[in-house]
Amino acid sequence: MAEDAATLAEHGKLAGRTWKRGMFANQPVSAILLCMVLSTAAMAATVSNLTVQLPSALWLRSLIAPDIDDMRQVLVHYAFLPRLVVSLLCGAALGLAGTVLQQVLRNPLASPETIGVSAGAYLALALASLLAPSLLAFGREWVALAGAFIALAAVFALSWHKGLSPLSVVLAGLVVSLYAGAIGAALIVLRHEWLASLFIWGAGSLGQQDWKTTLWLLPRAGAAALTIGLMVRPLTLLGLDDEGARSLGVPLGVYRFAGLVAAVALTAFVVAAVGVIGFVGLAAATLARIGGARRLSQRLIMAPLIGASLLWAADQAVQVATGPQGDLLPTGAITALLGAPLLLWLLPRLALGWEVPALTAERLPRTGQPGLVLAAIGVSLLLLLGLALLCGPGPHGWTVGFGDQLQPLLSWRWPRVSAALVAGAMLALAGLMMQRLTGNPMASPEVMGISAGAALGMMVALFSFSDAGRLVQTAAATVGAFAALLVTLAIGRRAAYAPERLLLAGVALTALFDALILVLTATGDPRAMLLLNWLTGSTYGVDANAALLTGGIAIVLLLLAPLFMRWLDVLPLGPSAVQALGIDVRKTRLLVLLMVAALTAASTLIVGPLTFIGLMAPHLARRLGLARALPQAAGAVLAGALIMVCADWIGRTAIFPRQIPAGLVATLIGGPVLMWLLRRR
Amino acid sequence: MPESHIKTAFRARSRMTRRGALGLFVLPFTGLACSALEAKPLRIVCLDDGLTETLLMLGVRPVAIADREVWEKWVVEPPLPAEVADVGTLLEPNLEFLQQLRPDIILAIPYLDGIKPLLERVAPVTTIGIYTEDGQPYRRAIEATRQLARLVGKEAEGEALIAATDASLLGIRQELAPLSARPVYVVNFMDPRNVRVYGKKSLFQDVFDRIGLSNAWTGETNYWGFSTVGIDGLATSSDARLAYLEPLPEGAGGTLTESPVWNAMPFVRNRSIMRLPAVLMFGALPSASRFARVLAKAMTGEAARG
Repeated sequence: MAEDAATLAEHGKLAGRTWKRGMFANQPVSAILLCMVLSTAAMAATVSNLTVQLPSALWLRSLIAPDIDDMRQVLVHYAFLPRLVVSLLCGAALGLAGTVLQQVLRNPLASPETIGVSAGAYLALALASLLAPSLLAFGREWVALAGAFIALAAVFALSWHKGLSPLSVVLAGLVVSLYAGAIGAALIVLRHEWLASLFIWGAGSLGQQDWKTTLWLLPRAGAAALTIGLMVRPLTLLGLDDEGARSLGVPLGVYRFAGLVAAVALTAFVVAAVGVIGFVGLAAATLARIGGARRLSQRLIMAPLIGASLLWAADQAVQVATGPQGDLLPTGAITALLGAPLLLWLLPRLALGWEVPALTAERLPRTGQPGLVLAAIGVSLLLLLGLALLCGPGPHGWTVGFGDQLQPLLSWRWPRVSAALVAGAMLALAGLMMQRLTGNPMASPEVMGISAGAALGMMVALFSFSDAGRLVQTAAATVGAFAALLVTLAIGRRAAYAPERLLLAGVALTALFDALILVLTATGDPRAMLLLNWLTGSTYGVDANAALLTGGIAIVLLLLAPLFMRWLDVLPLGPSAVQALGIDVRKTRLLVLLMVAALTAASTLIVGPLTFIGLMAPHLARRLGLARALPQAAGAVLAGALIMVCADWIGRTAIFPRQIPAGLVATLIGGPVLMWLLRRR
Repeated sequence: MPESHIKTAFRARSRMTRRGALGLFVLPFTGLACSALEAKPLRIVCLDDGLTETLLMLGVRPVAIADREVWEKWVVEPPLPAEVADVGTLLEPNLEFLQQLRPDIILAIPYLDGIKPLLERVAPVTTIGIYTEDGQPYRRAIEATRQLARLVGKEAEGEALIAATDASLLGIRQELAPLSARPVYVVNFMDPRNVRVYGKKSLFQDVFDRIGLSNAWTGETNYWGFSTVGIDGLATSSDARLAYLEPLPEGAGGTLTESPVWNAMPFVRNRSIMRLPAVLMFGALPSASRFARVLAKAMTGEAARG
């Protein structure tokens, strides 16, 4: 494949820059060196951690035959050592899984985390332990495997039509991870008493109390690794293009599937053992490549070694920071915190090839009467508004409010309904602009990390000011959204804001944000619950002032929107076509992005960063036959508003007097709808 | 009258001063009698379980509370009358529902300051903080009891509750004096590996001080008075006992006994582990005396077994 060759060439260049080609020309020198540096650091930290716990005279004894009367020796033998071994095992397993996935999918960005496999396994385990603990009796690995494969199947279903191209697989992986995350959040909102325990485990705490996990993981990971080891030759051929491999008589499908199964199984075992360890798989596989391991056989050795030393070093560093056995800074979340910047750094250095603009290639119905379609959506929206404002359950069952009774109820309902409405409308417009700008049907502010940036800003405000009012939170979220946008722009600048880079930067930002949330919630801070309530998109706190403010911003932005429509009509045609029309591509893209950031910041404050409205509404409008930019935008705005008002109403009434956050309802309903839409071609 | 109150009083009488026992015994009845006499009782919505249990002990029934269904699991005593409505979750009580309940007053805690402006549109909000950065929840619980008693016009019952709680703790102090040499850890299990251990600024610490026990956990705590640590963090004191509170998270009970670290913990090897029924860890005076009572029962039971 051309892009693979380009990737390899670029890596070669990187490696060559640091190392003069000489007697080590065929050895992955940088990778080996990196491995040695990491291991040395990890070893130093380990010795220091061990010294704190036990005088060195007793080390050997506690390793072989610990004196159970001496608590220090017991802890070293049954907590410190198994934790060390588990960190090595998990790191190696993830590194191996990442490398195999990259090879099988021919995707330099594939890894257990980026294709949604980790999230799927984690969600399956969380669901099983909360709802059907008896399932776990059959073995945690089966539950985790089932979750991982369901996630993988969803990712494939979403990206199949694009020939599993690297970008589409990673984007589908992100969507699936987000959806799994939303279901996880719903679980926690409904069962918040065990919030802390679910998070400690979910954040990838490596803490051990005996050798059980080690002995559980060792044969399983070993078997998967052995399977991979036996397939080195056919897997190498998978790196060639299909024609070449087929002419050598290799049954491609069989080996591709077997490699995939082995890699996914490795991931599922790790998740079942210790939870989600963020980004080690991606980092190890990529560092091995960049470090000069060009042949698959080299990468299959170097990536697990780098992964093991990486996780070992990270885990020992965490223990240096928190004291021995510290569980409260989950190592998995820390690696994700470190891994996300790594991904951001890698982005400009990877060659991913050019994606074919998707919207132009689609053959979707075009309606002859866009006005009629718009009117139909509009009328439905009006009907729904009436329902949402007038109907609801009370202490004595359902009532349709009228007259005096309605007045006080309305004062509670209208701010929430109007906030949901404008938030949905703005997200829909932002999503439409992103999709037309990038020519990618999976683009949206949620996926691009702008929402995550807004959420990060809000989070910082909540934790650094003891009494952050709504105004402070609003300001912080806006700053966060623009900061995220700036990061994205800085990364995108090299490629004249090429769509792929922007989207992948968003993936990395979202991952960073998830990791921060995990770290904060795992500390058991009561503010974490406040944050979670907001993150899931509750309209609860919206009062008249906030509703009017958001409404005002929305009106201004929506009035500006028609100015963008001509650009949005031509942008999907690709940069060269736009240039041919005499439009400055850079300036246009920058303006569109600024507009998207403003829309996203204003709406994220209301419904949180997790909805799929921005992704979903433009597709709905397009499927209804609205093809040109202006009618599609109007349709998307109406549809976004409709979905959000509906979600808010369901959230307020379904489990009355309890409430499900509107953003969460939108996600739970919207996710499957979206997946179905994307599949139907 | 709920049976458990009477049982409580009988159990308490054997240990405490006569005045205290009398106070506890009479308290619920006086409360009941008074509220029956009042023409129009105050309609109170109470958004904190610690304040709710205090109100109930004063003989006042709130109209509604938040997270009603976890009362049985986390608070247990005093029992919650069936008429008390549920307004939804603590952080997002249903405002439409609240409005239709037409409360005269809403009781909240500083933790809920974020939604105070919304609550104030329904009814006047009184914020009472028992857990703050300054700690001393027991002293604050006494102040809260007085404040609530003034609010519902039951000053005498309030003073009686304070006196009865003091007396009950004093009685337990005498009872536990022979057993007070060894320090005690009080924990909630988060999962089989991690616990919340209660220390400075917690209600349990204040109860320890009053019943003459020493807390084995002397480390840092947050403003709710706990710290989350791995169970091996509890190995520092060699002669400590461990008291763990119900409810246990799913799956924690079974796996504990199999772990070598757990089995090597000093308190496991000395068999100094006590399982306590649930006590509200962020409670007020009723939780303080309930905690002292269940702990004393567990400790004396353990001593009797040898």
